[in-house]
Amino acid sequence: MLLNLKNIYKWYNVGGNRTFILKDINFEVQEGEFISIMGPSGSGKSTLLNIIGMLDEPNEGTYNFLHENVFKLKEKQRAQLYKQYIGFVFQQYHLIDELTVYENIETPLIYQDVKTSERKALVADMLDRFNIVGKKDLFPNQLSGGQQQLVGIARALIAKPKLILADEPTGNLNSKQGEEIMQLFKQLNTEGVTIIQVTHSEKNAAYSSHIVNLLDGVIKR
Amino acid sequence: MIKNYFKIAWRNLMKNKVFSFINVFGLAAGLASCMLICLYVYDELRFDKHHKNVEQLYQLGTVFVRSDGEKKSSTVPAGVAAAMKQEFPEVVNTTRFTTLFADDKVLLQYKNGSETRSFYESKGCVADASFFTFFDYNFIEGTATTALVNPNSVVITEAIAQKIFGKTSALNKIIHVESNTNGTSDYTVTGVFRPGAEPTHIDSEFFLSFLGGGLENYTKQQTSMAGNNMFFTYVELQKGTNVEHLKAKFPAFVDKYMGNDLKKAGFNKRQLMTAVSDIHLNSEIPENVTPPGSWTYLYILMSIALFTLLIACINFMNLSTARSSKRSGEVGIRKVLGAQRQGLIYQFMSESLLLSGIAFIFSIAIVRLLIPVFESVSGKIFSFTPPQYLGLISIFLGLSIVAGLLAGIYPAFYLSSFIPIKVLKGRFSNSLAAVSLRKGLVVFQFTISVMLIVASVVIANQMDFLRSKDLGFAKDQQLVIPLRSETSKGIYTPLKNALSVSNQIQSVGASAYYPGIFNPEDANYYREGQTADDSKPARTNRIDDNFLQTMDIKPVAGRLFGKAFTADSSSIIINEKAVSALGFASPEEAVGKKISTDRQTQKVSWTVVGVVKDFHFEDLKTPIMPFAFMLSERPDYNYLLAHVKGQDITTALKTAETAWHQLNPNEPFEYSFLNDDFQKNYKAENRLSSIVGYFTFIAILISCLGLFGLATFSAEQRTKEIGVRKVLGASVSTIVALLSKDFLKLVLVAVVIASPIAWFVMNKWLQDFAYRININWTVFAITTFVALMIAFLTIGFQAIKAAVANPVKSLRTE
Ligand SMILES: Nc1ncnc2c1ncn2[C@@H]1O[C@H](COP(=O)(O)OP(=O)(O)OP(=O)(O)O)[C@@H](O)[C@H]1O
Ligand SMILES: [Mg+2]
Repeated sequence: MLLNLKNIYKWYNVGGNRTFILKDINFEVQEGEFISIMGPSGSGKSTLLNIIGMLDEPNEGTYNFLHENVFKLKEKQRAQLYKQYIGFVFQQYHLIDELTVYENIETPLIYQDVKTSERKALVADMLDRFNIVGKKDLFPNQLSGGQQQLVGIARALIAKPKLILADEPTGNLNSKQGEEIMQLFKQLNTEGVTIIQVTHSEKNAAYSSHIVNLLDGVIKR
Repeated sequence: MIKNYFKIAWRNLMKNKVFSFINVFGLAAGLASCMLICLYVYDELRFDKHHKNVEQLYQLGTVFVRSDGEKKSSTVPAGVAAAMKQEFPEVVNTTRFTTLFADDKVLLQYKNGSETRSFYESKGCVADASFFTFFDYNFIEGTATTALVNPNSVVITEAIAQKIFGKTSALNKIIHVESNTNGTSDYTVTGVFRPGAEPTHIDSEFFLSFLGGGLENYTKQQTSMAGNNMFFTYVELQKGTNVEHLKAKFPAFVDKYMGNDLKKAGFNKRQLMTAVSDIHLNSEIPENVTPPGSWTYLYILMSIALFTLLIACINFMNLSTARSSKRSGEVGIRKVLGAQRQGLIYQFMSESLLLSGIAFIFSIAIVRLLIPVFESVSGKIFSFTPPQYLGLISIFLGLSIVAGLLAGIYPAFYLSSFIPIKVLKGRFSNSLAAVSLRKGLVVFQFTISVMLIVASVVIANQMDFLRSKDLGFAKDQQLVIPLRSETSKGIYTPLKNALSVSNQIQSVGASAYYPGIFNPEDANYYREGQTADDSKPARTNRIDDNFLQTMDIKPVAGRLFGKAFTADSSSIIINEKAVSALGFASPEEAVGKKISTDRQTQKVSWTVVGVVKDFHFEDLKTPIMPFAFMLSERPDYNYLLAHVKGQDITTALKTAETAWHQLNPNEPFEYSFLNDDFQKNYKAENRLSSIVGYFTFIAILISCLGLFGLATFSAEQRTKEIGVRKVLGASVSTIVALLSKDFLKLVLVAVVIASPIAWFVMNKWLQDFAYRININWTVFAITTFVALMIAFLTIGFQAIKAAVANPVKSLRTE
């Protein structure tokens, strides 16, 4: 078992009232699974993914990652987990504005102390695979939304993570590009990478081995 | 990794040009200030450290113990040197010297065939033969150790040698020297030295041998060890001497050698001894050959410089944290990509270090550029050897790095603390703590600036007061013509007559000294019915029958000297202070009474013929003391004073010059104005005034840059709000007020905090002056106005720019 969530609650206090975003979520992921989280807008998909990715903390519940209680980890250890296991694709891309495409993709490798020559090879490979070699010296604000999304995905994959968390990774891509990304995910999955993605598209969900439906913060089976 | 950090840092710098400029410029200015002050402090600290034997060298001093208190002096009577050597085996060697204290300038003449060339030099002294074995001088001609051994030898600086002899060798040439202090004689040049880079407390430019001068004779006659404390005396101690043990034997020494003389003179003495390397900064004696430095002064300068740098560092902190919303996203993403907090801290620190590195380069350039200005402001010459330069540069680099770390550490910790989900999701807002800290820092910056403004205003007011205060005599339009040589003293009568008949000149007089320059003569006077034990010291000046009229010093009782009174040779005129010191009930009572002084064992008496109003014969740092005037027995006055009528000074000068050249064709005509000479006493204060002025300017400039940055940012951030308000009907002025109000409040708080502190400190400074201004409310009114004005001009620009912007435009871009 890679990770499991038990009795996760998440709420916000809005005007004195508790608004529940996630209600009693129980969720288990085995190594090598490919999961799609689906549900209407505002149902709490991103929130759940953020909790899985340890960016956000629930108000209640426990979360074990590789049998370790995540909420007891120090910031340093958490950063260590990101480095070793997790690649994150954001719904809003979140590229670093001050860095070029090349440097954005390279950054995770720098934090993993990969040697320069090796980094060069890996980044070149990624640029090639996503067909953005020509854009490598541009800054994010010089790219289209779709191109930014590709860079975001490339950045998430470069460090060969064992778990990919992708929040609507194809939202801004055309259907052909979207399909290619799904093919890529499928291939990575067969190589043993665990993938959890949020998606609105049935077509994309079809690539996964398992679908979780979220409705108003509750998992529907 | 490091390379990556610096790359991003560089991009950030280039992307935000305004902020980068403010930070780089501010840090460079702050660093440059610190560096200049460093140079100053370093120069003060190295005084007299370079003499070979300096560990063994000590200067003797005296504490005068009188019933009315103690007074410390760095001089001793002539005989003490020999007595020390005789008494103490620890004393290996001694040397004495004295400046030509009765001359402000000395005439040097060189006869080359039939041509006589005359020069005036101001920094002369008379020194023992052993002088150059004590102190290291760089001789370029002659031999240091033997230069002053023969009678009538003189050692001069390279500059004087070049002036007098041009390119030819100065060695063995004869110069004719005329001095009020040491008499007139011919001297053989036995040495020429080049003043070194290392500063020393002795600033003499020519050294006359003690043997063969007038002072040698004088000291032979005056053997009393009570008075005549005019020799700076140095001893060289045996290596390994216990200095404290030696000092413990001094009271017995004083008893043995001076006891009798002191009993006669009616006061007591203690012997002091100061290490030569301590003379400049760590001496308990307030005056020396050259005015000693002061730690207080150094501390003032160092703290001003450090505060300036701190203000610049605060700018960096404030601008970085204020703009943190722009960096927060980056922090969040980096953390998700595996960055650890420590790594982010390094990253932000490298940004501030890069900045301070750039500032360092600029500051070195600024320092190079400003050194000539700073040299003239501080009155120092900065010249260093290559290793010293290297040392200084490394200190400066260290300083820059410390500044970079100081400026960067808070923003680095603040920025790296962001939690990814908070900053990645939606809008980021600064924490309340960060905002209050920022406000606090702005208040701190302006508190310093306001204190400096108050200091500048108070110093300027006091300097103005010193310049304009009524000194009790006519200080303006007084032409001073020095009579330095026998020849010029000889033309006193014809010169005076020639000037008296001139239309431009109101009155002419002559004297040994005049107000504003050192008046070395004094005597102890006592009233009829008293004895020498009751005598009171009074400065004494020898004058002619028209000096007091020329100076416009007014009698309050009796009369002045004058042509009509021919039997005044034993008459004396005293001031009001002398009247009360001598114990007369009133000026009227003093007139006609006899007062006396004991010269050696002989009693000499005068009749008081007049009492004059108190006047300032010294600068306003010293209170008015008893003073006495008598007619000179011979017309050997040092100065002729001419009170010029009206405004036509040029014509008056022409007249004087023509008369001089007719009567004394061989010597150059020289003059000064009494008021200028008087103001020279405030050199240190003028220096402080200009240094504080410059630093105030820099501190305000840097503070305002920071404020400008914050205002720019706040206007930028509130573009949308301003747009909405304008659409809703707000006027430009209400929006300007909205944007400026918060900042001006901070400045006002700074004024409130700074005023009492500044008042306290400046009051302390004013205590140095016997006559001083009161710090009144106008100073603070002016300061408040100036500070608010400056702040408003700084902020207003951005506020107005934001307020007049087209609201539709700003709303659309949001
Ligand atoms: N800080 C907050 N305060 C109050 N409510 C919040 C806050 N953050 C998120 N929410 C609410 O949480 C709910 C779930 O948000 P979430 O981003 O998880 O939705 P989502 O399922 O990802 O939707 P989408 O498909 O549009 O991305 C939303 O209804 C949102 O309004
Ligand atoms: Mg979402």
